[in-house]
Amino acid sequence: MAASEDTPAISAVGENSTTQIKCSPNEKIKFKDPLMTGLDKDSDDDGMESLDLEASNKSEEESVSRSSSLIANFRLDDDCDGETRDLFIVVDDPEKHTSTLEAYITFRVTTKTTRDEFEGSDFSVRRRYNDFLWIRHRLEEKYPTHLVPPLPEKHSLKRMDRFSTEFLKVRQTALQKFLTRVADHPVLSFDKCFQIFLTAKAWEFQAHKKQGSGFLTRVSESLNNMSASYMMKNRPPEFALMHDYITLLSDKLGVMDRIAQRVAKEQNDYMAELLEWGPCYTLWANAEDQLAGALLTMSKALDECVRTIKELIDATDNRFAQPIKEYLLYTECIKNVLRRRDAIQNEYDSVIEEIGRRKEEKETIKTSDQTYSIGAFLGKDPEDVKQQKHEKLEQQISDLIRQMEYFNDRTVVANADLKADMERWHKHKQRDLKEIFITLADMHIAYYEKNLAIWESTIRTIQNKDHIQLPSTASINENQDHGIV
Amino acid sequence: MAEDGGMKPKPADTDPLSDDIKPIKNATALVSSEAKRGKRADKPKKSHLLQWMEITVTEPEKKTIASMKMQDTFVVYLIETRVTDENMQGYGEGATSVWRRYTEFELLRNYLDVTFPSVIVPPLPEKKASYAWQNVSMDRFDPDFIERRRAGLEIFLLRCAAHPRLCQDKIFMGFLHQEQGWRDTVNATDFYSKAESRLKALNAQFRLKNHDRRFEELKNYCTELQSNIGNILKIRARLCDKLYGIHKVHGNYARVFNEWSAIEKDIAEHLQSASHYMDVYSATIDAELEEEEQYADQLKEYYAFGDSVRAVCRRYECAQYDLEKAEEGLVNKSCQREALKLAIAESPVSEENNGQGKGGFSLSGVKTKLFGGDTPEQREVRLKQLDEQIVQAEAELKNVQEESQEFIELALRDIDRFQRQKTKDLQEIFTNYAVMQIKQCKKGIAIWTSAKDCFSKM
Repeated sequence: MAASEDTPAISAVGENSTTQIKCSPNEKIKFKDPLMTGLDKDSDDDGMESLDLEASNKSEEESVSRSSSLIANFRLDDDCDGETRDLFIVVDDPEKHTSTLEAYITFRVTTKTTRDEFEGSDFSVRRRYNDFLWIRHRLEEKYPTHLVPPLPEKHSLKRMDRFSTEFLKVRQTALQKFLTRVADHPVLSFDKCFQIFLTAKAWEFQAHKKQGSGFLTRVSESLNNMSASYMMKNRPPEFALMHDYITLLSDKLGVMDRIAQRVAKEQNDYMAELLEWGPCYTLWANAEDQLAGALLTMSKALDECVRTIKELIDATDNRFAQPIKEYLLYTECIKNVLRRRDAIQNEYDSVIEEIGRRKEEKETIKTSDQTYSIGAFLGKDPEDVKQQKHEKLEQQISDLIRQMEYFNDRTVVANADLKADMERWHKHKQRDLKEIFITLADMHIAYYEKNLAIWESTIRTIQNKDHIQLPSTASINENQDHGIV
Repeated sequence: MAEDGGMKPKPADTDPLSDDIKPIKNATALVSSEAKRGKRADKPKKSHLLQWMEITVTEPEKKTIASMKMQDTFVVYLIETRVTDENMQGYGEGATSVWRRYTEFELLRNYLDVTFPSVIVPPLPEKKASYAWQNVSMDRFDPDFIERRRAGLEIFLLRCAAHPRLCQDKIFMGFLHQEQGWRDTVNATDFYSKAESRLKALNAQFRLKNHDRRFEELKNYCTELQSNIGNILKIRARLCDKLYGIHKVHGNYARVFNEWSAIEKDIAEHLQSASHYMDVYSATIDAELEEEEQYADQLKEYYAFGDSVRAVCRRYECAQYDLEKAEEGLVNKSCQREALKLAIAESPVSEENNGQGKGGFSLSGVKTKLFGGDTPEQREVRLKQLDEQIVQAEAELKNVQEESQEFIELALRDIDRFQRQKTKDLQEIFTNYAVMQIKQCKKGIAIWTSAKDCFSKM
């Protein structure tokens, strides 16, 4: 694993969580009917209205048993190479909160752990999206050369409307993935702030948040990063390869995302037409006698087909399109980390260059003529001026050399961190993407199988009706004399 | 009775024309006169052509005739017939073959339409493509369009051959067998003159006093049927467009998988295989939708049948109109005779008064005005004339009544036959549609299973 200086052997001094309390009802501010409150534009959960209303009605007891069973049902999809985990996190139970200023959603974050640093083994707190943003930012700040997993986007353009329950479900899954990935990270998971995030109760947590650094460093950092990439001449080949690969992969993922959107649009259009088609058959059935049965059977089949395509559309979005988008975000994160690494190396390179320049200057001073220098003009002896300059440069050079050593260490560490993280990431990415595409195939197979059943049943129903159609054979007998066929 | 399949509809038969077939009575029954039709002999009787003859329409070919300044290019179809019953004349002689083009089919149909007014004559496949979606062929010379037309023409002939009255017609047989000069033969029958004028039909529709409810309802039914089928066809076209779009967009996955495979190492090969399957998925829709056109064609046939049924209703109205006119004529003549009789019985002086006292129209009154007074001898002559005319009118009326009765009877029978056929056909048609959907589903499952296999190996 990557060597990291600030591996916190946490002793959780003084800060916060002492007792292990489950989600206490006191935390909830009175639950209001979601349809009645208007949402503050600034809340992180714009447009969300309907909720899983059951959430608010859970008793204390229920929530206890639920959290343990949730841990038990914890899917080990992020299981890395069969490592034993000592930190399990589950995100669930979205709830709406209304205060005087705003309305927002919190999720319950439940943690089970055997780590000593945690002073306890079970924790349950409530966090909102902004809290997640905070912890992510903190981690990024503290570990600029490590890969911090991405968070789902703040606003989803598509879901600004009624699909709120779904939106919450998707977001919840993404948040859990985020926390699990951090928990799996050999360095990030031991971070003090992370622990606080998982364990601190409401007020303590708010207090701690305020201590964090501002956003200013972020801004200057990004400027620095941009220029760094420009000047990148000496990028080590492995990082150059990484950079190219990530760029291309990100590109392909973007294309796939767009294709998925396009497919969804066409499928929605198709479904809209299908919705109109069934009623045509029903309408026709009203004008028919013997044929009504078959027509109604067709109509029913088509209505069921509407259902199956809807299921396909929704499932594809939740289990294919969203995960792909998430990996797209992940690649963006990686690009950022790569840039930071470049910046760090750049600093090192710049210092080297600077040292070179000073040394050169030092050489030229020896043979220079200081008669027309400023010092001479002020009345100093040119030779003294020369001497002073020489000494100054030597001082500067030794300062710079110290700086260089520092930057060198930093660069080496950054490279090692990133390399290790990328190796892990590659493995996970392989597994995750494979999973995503297998799911895509599975959903299509399920769709076609459902439709197959619908149409097979339709045939059976129509044919059965045919056999009990007595009137036609009866009238055959009475038409015999007239030579009717 | 169940010699050749009996009375029940054949369950496994997918031929939409598998009708309830009556077994054979004797071989010559087919060409026997109308009078023999009702006779029942010991041996079963063949009531329509398909029971002993096989008809196929195949091999559409493009033919070009240069005439004067223009070049006429059209498609001809090969019509072959073969006798399948050993008892019938012509058995074992091999197939007869004749080339016909679409306009000749049209000529045949027009002829049958006029010659058998009480029969619901089967419709031809459409002249121009309707309810088309973006990829379907609208061009007359597109092979897919030609193929669908060929199928439609074959069904047309089979339906005619299955009809107990249509199949006995000489012109119809000529269409199947006469290689040269069939057109002249048809035109020689001068059938156009027998066609009911549109104006008369329109007139009749609005002037009828006693409209048989059944025909009235049938007309309404046809309108509804066409409206319903029209809706289904319209939306189906849109569905085809959307489904086409879905599959083609999936084709983009193929391309991106390929591009992606270029930057990977170990999974490259599997991505490429998956890419191939996305291409397959994208490509299958073309054939599937082409096959589904069959469904649309079958519905279109019944849409067109609506026109045929409505034509029969129109002819009923014309017949009824004729009947009512004849009745009216007779009533008028009788009134005249009564008026005249009365006038003769009374004195000439009071003629006008009497005439007017009768109220309404009085022929004698008018006659007096036009021609002056009548001598008793003249009146007697007139009376006799009227008597004769009345007898004539009565005879005429009886004729028309009989004809009308017969027409109604035949028409209702054919309508009943049509309804039964329609129910059977449409059930079959819907079943076929379901079969096609099942086929598509299986294909989809196969493709995605293969793709999943590729993904699993990644």
